[in-house]
Amino acid sequence: MKTDHSLPLEYSTEQNQLNILGFWIFIGAEIMLFATLFATYFTLANRTGTGPAGSEIFEITPVLIETFLLLTSSFTIGLAVHAMRIGKKNAMLTFFVITLLLGLGFLGVEIYEFTHYVHIGAGLQTSAFTAVLLTTLGTHGAHVTLGLFWGLFIILQVKKRGLTPGTANKAFIFSLYWHFLDIVWIFIFSFVYLKGMM
Amino acid sequence: MNYFDRFAIPNPSPAIYAAMVAIGLTVIAIVVGLTYFKKWGYIWREWLTTVDHKRIGIMYLVSALLMLFRGGVDALMMRAQTAIPDNALLDAQHYNEVFTTHGVVMIIFMAMPFIYALMNFVVPLQIGARDVAFPRLNALSFWLFFMGAMLLNISFVVGGSPDAGWTSYFPLAGNDFSQSVGTNYYMLSIQIAGIGTLISGINFITTILKMRAPGMKLMKMPMFTWTAFITNAIVVFAFPVLTVTLLMGTMDRLFGANFFTTTNGGMDMLWANLFWIWGHPEVYILILPAFGIYSEIISTFSRRNLYGYKSMVASIVIISFLSFLVWTHHFFTMGQGPLTNSIFAITTMAIAVPTGIKIFNWLFTMWKGKIKFTVPMLYAVGFIPIFTIGGVTGVMLGMASADYQYHNTMFLVAHFHYTIIPGVVFAMLAGLTYWWPKMFGFKLSERIGKWAFWFIAIGFNVTFFPMFFTGLNGQARRMYTYSEASGFGPLNLLSFGGALVLAAGFALIVYNVYYSTRYASRNIGSDPWDARTLEWATHSPVPSYNFATSPKVDSIEAFWDHKKNDYPLFKGEVEEIHMPNNSGIPFIMSCIFFVWGFSFVFSMWIPAIITTIAIFVLMAYRSFEKDDGHHISVKEIEETENKLRGGNK
Amino acid sequence: MSELFPRKQVMSFVFSLILTGVALTVYFLDMSFAIGMTILLITAFVQASVQLAVFMHAGETKDKGSIYLNIYYAFAIAIVTVLGTLLIMIWDM
Repeated sequence: MKTDHSLPLEYSTEQNQLNILGFWIFIGAEIMLFATLFATYFTLANRTGTGPAGSEIFEITPVLIETFLLLTSSFTIGLAVHAMRIGKKNAMLTFFVITLLLGLGFLGVEIYEFTHYVHIGAGLQTSAFTAVLLTTLGTHGAHVTLGLFWGLFIILQVKKRGLTPGTANKAFIFSLYWHFLDIVWIFIFSFVYLKGMM
Repeated sequence: MNYFDRFAIPNPSPAIYAAMVAIGLTVIAIVVGLTYFKKWGYIWREWLTTVDHKRIGIMYLVSALLMLFRGGVDALMMRAQTAIPDNALLDAQHYNEVFTTHGVVMIIFMAMPFIYALMNFVVPLQIGARDVAFPRLNALSFWLFFMGAMLLNISFVVGGSPDAGWTSYFPLAGNDFSQSVGTNYYMLSIQIAGIGTLISGINFITTILKMRAPGMKLMKMPMFTWTAFITNAIVVFAFPVLTVTLLMGTMDRLFGANFFTTTNGGMDMLWANLFWIWGHPEVYILILPAFGIYSEIISTFSRRNLYGYKSMVASIVIISFLSFLVWTHHFFTMGQGPLTNSIFAITTMAIAVPTGIKIFNWLFTMWKGKIKFTVPMLYAVGFIPIFTIGGVTGVMLGMASADYQYHNTMFLVAHFHYTIIPGVVFAMLAGLTYWWPKMFGFKLSERIGKWAFWFIAIGFNVTFFPMFFTGLNGQARRMYTYSEASGFGPLNLLSFGGALVLAAGFALIVYNVYYSTRYASRNIGSDPWDARTLEWATHSPVPSYNFATSPKVDSIEAFWDHKKNDYPLFKGEVEEIHMPNNSGIPFIMSCIFFVWGFSFVFSMWIPAIITTIAIFVLMAYRSFEKDDGHHISVKEIEETENKLRGGNK
Repeated sequence: MSELFPRKQVMSFVFSLILTGVALTVYFLDMSFAIGMTILLITAFVQASVQLAVFMHAGETKDKGSIYLNIYYAFAIAIVTVLGTLLIMIWDM
């Protein structure tokens, strides 16, 4: 495999460039995936049947914690990529670990939120609104969960193999994924929670 | 309920028992055959684990042809049932299952793999690449599609087929009205195949954007590659909608959610809306590659370059965007207001403009050309008037207020078959005949091919043209029978006659494959049609690395210039070529997906959880795996080249 | 140590926290639905652009054109999908 040393490690081979562009196109598909969920959410948001409405079940505190955790993790994964580019492997790994811990914290709060909803009678079967709420949040949460495992694998690989074109490429693509999840969360935060509590 | 009762067929009939026996015998025959001829190793090494785009293309092709016959048998059953009034060949339930699986099989498991067969085989060759961007994902795409298709097909004999139409509208598709597991099969099998298609979409966009031969700018790409590019762009943005919609439908059916129910706030009409947000772009996913194929064929056999290349490109780009703006015309009668219907009626008619531009471009390409009526050209020329009838009736249906008359009648059925059969089936048969020599090294018989064309073209028109009239007279689609007093009898009988002719045409194609395999000359060179694009610049059959040296391109028809004006296409020296390794993971993973889907269909949670974990474990394994591919040495390339050149005089 | 915290990224992080704070005003202050939605739309899309351009390095290679076209196209169709669905299912039903 030819390596081009004038480019950052993650772009240095042809296959790496293909991987990154391919992942961007995947993100385009993900935008449509979440757009469909949002379209459904907006259509069904007021169709609560006999169940509770959004304004009755949303709480600002867990939402703020989640938002802050995910925003910060998006910042730290950006720092990890920066550290990787200046060749600081240990700093990069530290930022990676921080990112995943923040993601884990986010997931913990989200699980709390879910059990709370089910507890107060807003489960999957309650109404169209609760079904789409839990599905939208759940799809995002599933992405975060997958990301936690993926990130962990990358940490292990960087530790074992060092910063190579292969591992750097994976780490960079992971950062794209993680930032994208943050963007989705911003939309959920704005148009599910804040709009619902407005 | 006894545990095994759930696997029984809810509405058994002799046909289904016959199908069970046939499936059983086929499986036994394949296993015994492979064992007897000691081909297990060969199948595994050369096909099941392959990542070569050409072989994957051929596997898509074989699957698509098998599904074509599966869906065709459904069609014949429908026409036979409605051939005479008050017929009792099929009962209502069985008829529902047959038209549902006919639609699903033809769209998702015949047309889609057929276009991906040709894209896989042709696109990397047309742009002078060694393979696609992600060869292993390409194999995964194929196997996911294949397992999705198999999952739908076993529904016939295990648990019952879907019966709510290929559109599966709720509340009919909900648990209250579709109590068998049939609709679960629909949700899961399309989901699995759809994920595969989405992966293909990403793969091909990346391939076309980044792996073109040096000098081939976007505006120098062959037209088929352009249409493949735009088609995959539509795939990437349309298929996620389907993924989510099917997910929500599955949750309604399996977990009692209320997305599309009629209680607790659920909204059944939302299914129709979301389904067509995917469904309409899907129509263009099917038709655009066909436009590309026709462009190649018309240009080759008119001996002229394609007229209006730039306007062709512009029109497909416009179509790609407009295709996302028209979905409401599938349900004008659902109850939304005149404002919405007007907007979507206008966008619908607007889409006729770029399509019309393309029709004129093809006509101008043929104008004053030296036309050679080969089999592919016959399909291309036959396509234009038939498709135009489909297009004109489409404009009729696109007028929202008039649509109240046509909606859900046989008129609609006639319309979409008039677009989709010349637009997809003709194109695929044309493309198949056209690229067959590149795939297998010999031509299909022109004589039998022409007979097949005339059978298909005439049979098609006799089958579907009467439906315009019965539809306008009020025959509803999807009705399993009608009374004699309705007067639909004679035209329906004519339709059935047409369907038999059509079936005979397809049988001739099968015979043609058999005949040509045995008797056709292998000594046809690498460019038997005197064609214009890069795929004809390498040997037939194509070596695994495609091109010994990368072609250098500086015009739209570099290969034509190479032949006629001595343009030096291959300048470089032969160098070592890097190729990806084969892998069994895509196949194994897709098998697990099959079990996963099956477990969800029957709500068997323990295997569902185990297979879910297994899928993630395989993904993790892939993450840690180190696979740098292998190199083909210069010596090996030169030996292969010499051998191929020797056989290709 | 400071080389690990590039100014651009730190500023962007602060900016996105501010944007979040602005968005929160719709919860804490009393305002009409129209004004609230306007604020949310602006903050969400600006925030998304910051992530794309700064953190995701969307424009740093020669594939910049493809990447941005892909994202714009996705957003355009996403907006058509959401607004079209609302038009059909709610506003004009």
